[in-house]
Amino acid sequence: MATDARPDSHFPAGARREWRAWSLLLTGLLLGLAAGLAYAWLAAPVVYLATSPAWLGPDERAEYIYLVSRSYGVDGDWPRAARRLAALEAPDTAQTVTALLEQAIRAQRPPDEVRSLAVLARALGVENTAVALFAPEPDSSFLAAPTPPPGAALPPPTAVPDPALPTRMPISPTEQPIYRLLEREPLCTPGQDAARLELVVLDARLNPLPGVAIEVTWEGGADRFFTGFKPAQGSGYADFSMAPGVRYSLTLPDGGPLVDGLQVTTCASGDAGGWRLIFQNLVFAAVPTPTGD
Amino acid sequence: MSKIHVAGWLVLGAALGVGLGLFVGWVVWPVTFSDATPDLLSDPYRRDYALMTATAYQAEGDLAAARARLGRLDADGPQWLLSATLDLILADGAEADIRRLARLAADLGLSAPALEPYLDSDGD
Repeated sequence: MATDARPDSHFPAGARREWRAWSLLLTGLLLGLAAGLAYAWLAAPVVYLATSPAWLGPDERAEYIYLVSRSYGVDGDWPRAARRLAALEAPDTAQTVTALLEQAIRAQRPPDEVRSLAVLARALGVENTAVALFAPEPDSSFLAAPTPPPGAALPPPTAVPDPALPTRMPISPTEQPIYRLLEREPLCTPGQDAARLELVVLDARLNPLPGVAIEVTWEGGADRFFTGFKPAQGSGYADFSMAPGVRYSLTLPDGGPLVDGLQVTTCASGDAGGWRLIFQNLVFAAVPTPTGD
Repeated sequence: MSKIHVAGWLVLGAALGVGLGLFVGWVVWPVTFSDATPDLLSDPYRRDYALMTATAYQAEGDLAAARARLGRLDADGPQWLLSATLDLILADGAEADIRRLARLAADLGLSAPALEPYLDSDGD
């Protein structure tokens, strides 16, 4: 069959020129579009130099929240803390703070750090075991802050932090707790292995004190844990299993005496025994005091 | 179609395409940076971050951590802190805030006459 090999040969010359012009225009457009997008996305992307905390990456957000909690612990200024948190534009700030609190506990962060996050979580209406342990009384030793009801909305975010904040009542920083060893006695449980350290930490009024860090060291090892993780034994209770033949030292990093020479003993019954230690915090809870300004 | 004509259509298309690409890439669908660092915060937020750093320093006494945080705010962290502190003093900022910033600045080895009144120990 004899047909023309050129499909456009059926069209008049003017139409062919027009078709070719459009195809060239489209080709140029596509090439230009690709070049423009490459330039806009890769070579010179838009960088917003004046961002808000909402743009911070995950690690920086965690650090930001930690700083908010620390600041809140010092100045007790809830409106300011809430405004700072609102700047993160997080869908659920309370959940974020709770996750950070749990992360801090698991990572065995310093007690002050854990406590400040717990207090912030409590101020956001979070009620759980970790908060109860580390921020048991929101208005006592740490700061004086109003606790909004669960689910309460944060104050509306503002475009920028207000540098001229209203006069407030600065809270004196939490005093460093000082503990004394109130009692040290052998621990024996007839018929049972009791090769452990049992610790009870009390406050100045002899009430159980949760969330207190305890540090146990031995040759080639160390462990750190907190009181209150076995509520059935009391909120000031913690224990630690000892291995036979190992000599342990124990202290409260917040300011307690070093108790040395702790090792597994042999009870009169022949069972392995341990030690029961009771510490008392000698510092009464700090009371917020106005400075008069 | 002459060669000039061909090149003209191509150039016209490319010019339109580049314009469209830039508009889409910069305005309609810009690159989103979700992992910003504190140095990209706007100035008021950076100043607030510095204040939080100074407040945290008051609580934890960790100068190295405070220095690192300031370093993330500005390449010249301590000097920038001094400048921010002086700005707050001149703006008649809250005294407690100034004291915290001044304390941190002083502990970082910075000094300025305007800081002196805020460095007495019982002011906060």
